[in-house]
Parts: sequence; structure tokens; C-alpha cells
Amino acid sequence: MKLFKKPITIGMNVFLMTFSLASVVLLLTSIVFLTVFTGIVHENIETQAKEINKQIVLNFESYINSIIETADYIQFGSVNLDAETDAATIDSLFRMNTEIKKDMVSIFLFDTAGRKIAGPTLEFATGGSVADKDWFQTALRIPEIYNFSTEQGSSVAENRSEQVITVSRSIRFKRAGREESGVLLLELNYDMITDLARKTNLGEYGHLMILDDQGRLLYTSETGEPRMTLLSAKEASSIFLGSRRVTLWNTDMFINVNTLIQTRWLIATVSNINGIRNAVKRLALIIVLIYSVSIAICATVAAVISLQVSRPVSQLKTAMLKVEEGDFSRQASVSGQTEIVSLAHSFNAMTGKIRELMARLVSQQREKRKMELQVLQNQINPHFLYNTLDSIVWLAEHDRNKDVITTVVALAHFFRIGISKGETFIPVGNEISHVRNYLTIQSIRYVNKFTYDIQVDSRLLGYRVMKLVLQPIVENAIYHGIGDEDDGKIKITGTIENGYMVFRVWNSGYGISEEKIREMYETMRGNPEKPSVGIRNVYQRLKLYYGDEAEVIITSIQDESTTVSLRIPLEPKEERDE
Amino acid sequence: MNKNPVRQFNFRRPGIVASAVVMIAVVFAFSSCPAHTPAAGIFVYNESDPFMHEFAEQIVRQAKGRFATTLYYANNSQLIQNEQIEAERAKKSDILLVNPVDRLGAFAIIRKMKAENVPVIFFNREPLAADLALWDRTFYVGARPEQSGQLQAHMVIDLFGGNPDAPNEYDRNGDGVIQAILFKGEQGHQDAETRTTEVLRSFEKAGWKVELLGMEIANWNRDEAYSKAGSLLAAWKPALELVLSNNDDMALGVISRMRQEGWFKDSNGNGRIDQKDASWIPVVGIDGIADARESIAEGYLYGTVTNNSLQMAASIVELTEMLLGERSEQELSVPLTDGKYIWVDYQPYISR
Repeated sequence: MKLFKKPITIGMNVFLMTFSLASVVLLLTSIVFLTVFTGIVHENIETQAKEINKQIVLNFESYINSIIETADYIQFGSVNLDAETDAATIDSLFRMNTEIKKDMVSIFLFDTAGRKIAGPTLEFATGGSVADKDWFQTALRIPEIYNFSTEQGSSVAENRSEQVITVSRSIRFKRAGREESGVLLLELNYDMITDLARKTNLGEYGHLMILDDQGRLLYTSETGEPRMTLLSAKEASSIFLGSRRVTLWNTDMFINVNTLIQTRWLIATVSNINGIRNAVKRLALIIVLIYSVSIAICATVAAVISLQVSRPVSQLKTAMLKVEEGDFSRQASVSGQTEIVSLAHSFNAMTGKIRELMARLVSQQREKRKMELQVLQNQINPHFLYNTLDSIVWLAEHDRNKDVITTVVALAHFFRIGISKGETFIPVGNEISHVRNYLTIQSIRYVNKFTYDIQVDSRLLGYRVMKLVLQPIVENAIYHGIGDEDDGKIKITGTIENGYMVFRVWNSGYGISEEKIREMYETMRGNPEKPSVGIRNVYQRLKLYYGDEAEVIITSIQDESTTVSLRIPLEPKEERDE
Repeated sequence: MNKNPVRQFNFRRPGIVASAVVMIAVVFAFSSCPAHTPAAGIFVYNESDPFMHEFAEQIVRQAKGRFATTLYYANNSQLIQNEQIEAERAKKSDILLVNPVDRLGAFAIIRKMKAENVPVIFFNREPLAADLALWDRTFYVGARPEQSGQLQAHMVIDLFGGNPDAPNEYDRNGDGVIQAILFKGEQGHQDAETRTTEVLRSFEKAGWKVELLGMEIANWNRDEAYSKAGSLLAAWKPALELVLSNNDDMALGVISRMRQEGWFKDSNGNGRIDQKDASWIPVVGIDGIADARESIAEGYLYGTVTNNSLQMAASIVELTEMLLGERSEQELSVPLTDGKYIWVDYQPYISR
């Protein structure tokens, strides 16, 4: 169950489906095949065993029929003979038939009292007691049939010691012109059963048995193992008629019981059919082998198919994850199933489109920003130019020609750097001299109003920085920081701190309140209602270009000083694009 | 999200397969097991016995609509019959109707069917009484063999005028003794022996003298009787006054031979053999098969004793129904004797 709690991948699913379907089909096929085969083998072997049994029974039947025929012939031949007057003829008839058939031991005719009417000389010991014999009594009791019996043991004839089967029947005969009842006795050599049974091959421990009407064993061909016969005889006498498959002593046997014609005996053949078990075992082994090989092949094929289906899908999935993370540059390269490949193509077309759209968007944004920057840069110039021209006019009015020259030269420098051939980024050194020019101009305009000092880390000079970021701050310091007071001080520093260039514009003065600082931040961040154009302009330009890394920080100590710090990321000294 | 349905589908699959298998199995089980109609196997010793053939067909005809039947002929081999019984038992029939090849073969059949509790009705060859007594669900339907011989004798006695001291003109030589030859079915065969003994004994009992000129065994067979009649007829032609046969088939064989030898003439030209003609002598059979009745109508065969197979078939069917619980013992048209036997009377059948 735990297996199913996990989400199942397509590949796993395809594999499981294919594999289980194939193994179910294979298993069913194997089982059906084995069952059918076993059935057929059983049927064949049983048919064969039955045929053997039939053949044996037929042999016995034809033998018994020949005996019956002889008996009938004797009977019929003596119908018109008189036991008294034709005694010699009857005797010769009996003798002749005894001689013709080698297994016929003797033929007798007795009257109902057991006295011999015809036949050879009786054995002295048994001769007088014929009437007490079982075969004699039975013949009288059931007159309509021939009675077969083995109870007599050895022959009743003189000098014949062989084991015999007695065939007795009550008949009518003539004596002295009168019809009388009597008993005809034929003695058969017991060996005839052995002779008839010998020809059969019933396999190892297979044997033939004859059971009498009481279920007693009259004969068995099994000579090696008496216990085997004990078991099979018990089985056979419970079958009565027909066949049964049994296991005797771990050996599969097929018992076939048939009647023996003219007798109430049963003849049973016990055939060894262990071969079936071996054949089935062997076949089962082969099937298991075929099954395992097929399952292995099937598993491999299932795995390959599932890989073919799932690999392109998982490739596509990887590509999609990348896109999810924002990487549109990757092309999903998928091979395998056509459907998924075309899906991948569509996906690639889509990401391509998105990438294109994004590129266009970025360039559009950049254009827009550039334009904004330019607009912001251009905002500064008119203010300053107006003020400076105003102070030059003032200087000229007061005939301060030298100052006019200094101012005009500084202004020229100032503008040259300010224009910088239209570039937005200039070396830090240029930016500093730009500020210096500005301060020169302003210090002429506001004589004795402030002094200034510039200290910049020489390492900074090589870096580039967005132009015209310091001047507005300084301008701010002059107009708002120092105010109307004389002897103001302005200090400008440039340092490298933690990978940033930090410019600090410090000025003495009243300082500004916390509230004012908050207002200034607000103004910087975009409240256009407020004045203080310069610092807002710097702030927005820095943010526009450097993003969150650039920062403008205003700190103040009441009645003492104000510091505005610019934190700008250090950029590589090389020229960046634009 | 859509992984879930896929998983469920996969999960259910074995269930679908299993239920399909169960459904198929159920369908098969029902189709192969229709409502049970009782079935009986009929086993007849030999198809080439015309009487038994007719008899078996009669049983099948009368059983129609009452129970299913399967008819087997054993080709005169108990071995084959045993096999057929085993095959029929595999079909789980409810009852066996057996005309045994070997009367002693019944012994094993009875014991087997007792073990399987399947009743058996034997017919037309009587098992030993001791064997029938082994189980109370075994029966015998047939005729008393001695009756056929008795009726055969009385048929002849009637023809000869009924007075043993003054036989009529059919005693051709007028010596007061009937000169006869006899055709026996089989040596040692119960019916042959009984019929032979009884016919002769009946003459004796009634005071008639019969001189048996000769006896032949023709195995119940027409052709064999035809060929074996040759020498007997040639030897006894002038003296012969009667031909007795254990069955009709042999009688018809003898008649064929007799016609060749100059017996049987239509002297008055009425299209029928003339019994009054001096050359005519009676031939009598037993069984009453169709050919025999035809021969009687034409005047060749004098008479036969009909083994009433119609009634026997009816009794077998009725007894089967009784054993299947569809009929009471009182409803049997011929009652049971000793709870085991149904004796159907023979009937004389002669030319008029």
C-alpha cells in the first residue's frame, strides 16, 4: 500500500501496466496449457492402460470361451449317448479332449451322489469325498452356469499333482435309457493363468490380479512385492468395475477392473503411470523456464517502452522547471515519442516568444530610463546658469574683472565637464573638479560667506560615477545649510567603504530638525509638490540607474552641522555600456 | 493533480480482470448445468439381434418425454458393455437399463451400482437370483423362459388335434409319434437350454410322443440355421413332421432351406402357402419378430411365441419411473413378483 501512496510516474505506470498485463496473460496461458496437456496425457495413458487391460481380458476370455466350448462340445456330443451302454465312447470322448488341450488336466462326469460315471481313475485319497467338495455343491446349487473355482487345489485324478482350476456344472445325461442329473467336471492346469498373464507389460510394479466373487485374490503377477498386491487388491475389490487412479507406495497406478466372462471373477490390471507425473513435472519445468524468460523479456520491453514515454516527458519537465525559475534561455531538447517532441517544440516556441517579448520590454525600459535621465540632467542647468550669469553681471558692475575672468573660466570648465560629450558617466576626478569649479564660482559670488575643503581618496579617481551628483548636494549645502550666516564651512570627502564609494558633503550651520529630514526624504522619494529640486533630482537619478544599492543619507546635528552622504556602488573601471 | 485518477485506474485493474473471470465462469457453470432431467443408459448386448434391436428401439420410443435415454450396443462383448457402463456413469445417469452380454457380468455391475447407489434394471437375460438378491434396487424384466417352450409345444399339440392317442392328418405317417428336428440357439445358453428342455417336456407331460430325429446348434442365427439345415433335411426328408426352433431367426433360415428342398406349395392358388398340402409340415419359432409375422401371414411359418417386447418395454419404462419416484408400485401395468421381477407373459402367434 505504501507503494501506492507515493505518486506514480508515467514511466512507472506504463511499466507496471505492461508488465502486469503481460504476466497475467502469460500465467493464464501457462496454466491452461499445463492443465490441458496434463489432461491429454492422462487421457492417453489411461486409454492405453485400458486397451492393455482389454487385450488381457480378451486373451482370458477367448481362453475361457474355448474351455466352455469344449465343455459344451462334450455335453452336446454325449446327449444321445448312454452312460451305461456307450461308456467306452464317452470315456474316449473325455480322453480325446484331455489330450487335445494340453492344459486340460482331466474331465469327469459324476452323478448327484458324487459317484464317478466317466473319466480317468480318481485319486484314492480324494475320490470318495467328491460330493463334499465346494465345486460339486455349487454346481448343484446353481445349475445354470459353469462354476469356476480354485479351491480344489491339486487334481482329483490319480497321479496328477498339478494345481488346478475346476470348472463344474450340473448336466443331464442318460443312463440305462433314463435321463439323470449329474455334474460335469473339467480340471484346468493353474499355469494357464500364469501363461496368459506373462505376456503383459504393465510397467514397474505393474501387475495383473484375478479376484474371485468374494473379493479374494486368486492370482497376482506381482512376485516381488507382496505388500503392493495387498494394497492394489483392496482398491480393485472396491472398484468392482471400471478404472481408478491411485497412488500406491508413492507410485501412480491406474487400476482397471473388468469382469471375466462366464465367471463371477474380476480381472484387474494395475498399470504404472508414474511416467505421467514425470512428463508433467518436466513440462512444468519447461513452462516455468519459458515463463521466466518471457517475463524477463517482457520486463525489459516494458522498461524500454516506459523509458521511451517517460524520458522525453521528464526532459520536458526539467526544461519547464528552469523556465519556472526564470531561465528562458534554455531550449528543451527532447527526443523520443513524436507527440512529446512536438509538445517540446511548441514549448520551445513559447519560451522563445517570451524571451523575445522580455528582451523588447527591457530595451524599452532602458530607453525610457535614458530619456528620463537626460531630462533630469537637463533640469539643473538653467538654475545654475541664471544664478552664475547674475553673479558675473554683478562682478562686472563692480569692476572686478579678475574675478569675472576666474568665474567665466570656471564656468567654462564647469559646463565642459557638465556636458562631457553627452556622456552620463564620468571619472570621479572630473566630477570632483566639476564641484571645485562650482565652488570657485560660488565663492566669488558669496565672498567670505563660506570656506570649503575637498578630500578625496586618490583610489577613487579612476572609477566612473554618474555625472553631476555632487554639485546639487553642494548647492543645497550653500543655499540651505549655511544660510545667511558668514564663515560657513563646507567639507567634501570621498572614500571607499565596503565596496561602495561614499561621498559626504558636510556643512556647518543650524542643522535641520528630524521632521525636516523626514520631509526631505519624502520629497526625494517623489513628492513633486515640494521644492528642493536638486537633492530630489540626484536621488531619483541614482535610484533610476543603480537601484536599491545607491542611497542618499541625511544626518544632522542641531545647531552644528548637516551631512548628506551618497553611497554609490563601485563599478568596474572599464567602460560600462553607455 | 491528474495523477490520482491514473493511479486509481491502475489500482482497480486486477479487480476488473478478476470480476470478468468470475463472470465468465458463472456463465459457463450455468450453461453447462441445465435443469436436471432424469437420464437412463440403455445397454443392449448386440445390435445385430433383430429382436433386441426392435426391443431397445421400443424402450427409447416409450421413454420419450419421460426421461432421457442413451442407447448402447455391446457387440456381444461384456468387455465393451463394461466400458459403455463406465462411460455412461461418467455422465451421472440416474438409472441403468442393462441387457447383459454375460449373465455373470451382472454380478460386478450390481456391486458397482450398489456402491454408487444407482438402480439397475436388467432385462431379457436374467442374472443369477443370488446376484439380484445382493441389493433391493436391482430388478429384472423379462419372460419366463420355460413358458416359451410350453406355449410352443401346445401350439403344435393344437395343430395335431389335441388327442395324443389319435393325432390328426399332420401325423403324416400315422404312427402316433411326431418325428421332429430341433434347432438350438446356443449350447449351454440358459434360454436355449430352457426352451429346448421345456418344449420336449411339455409334449411328454401332455402324453405326446416326439421322436427327435436330430438337433443342431445354430447360435440363434438365420444363416447358420440355413446352412446347418441342409444335411438334416436331406437325411430326414420323408419322415419329417415338425421343425422346432429356439427362435424365429433360425426358423426362417430353415424355411429358406426347406423351400429350396421342395417344401411349401400354394396348391390351391390362393396366393398363400397351403397347409393342407401333403408336403407341408409345421415350423415353429419363438420371439415374434416382424419377419416371422410376415412369414406367418404368407403361410410358411406356422407359429411363433411372441416375446411381448411392447409390454416389456412398457414395464421397463414404468419401473424406471417408479425408481425415479414418478410412479407408485400400484401403477405398474404388470405387478412386481418377489419385489424384484416383472414377468411378462409370452403369447402364441399362429397363422389362421
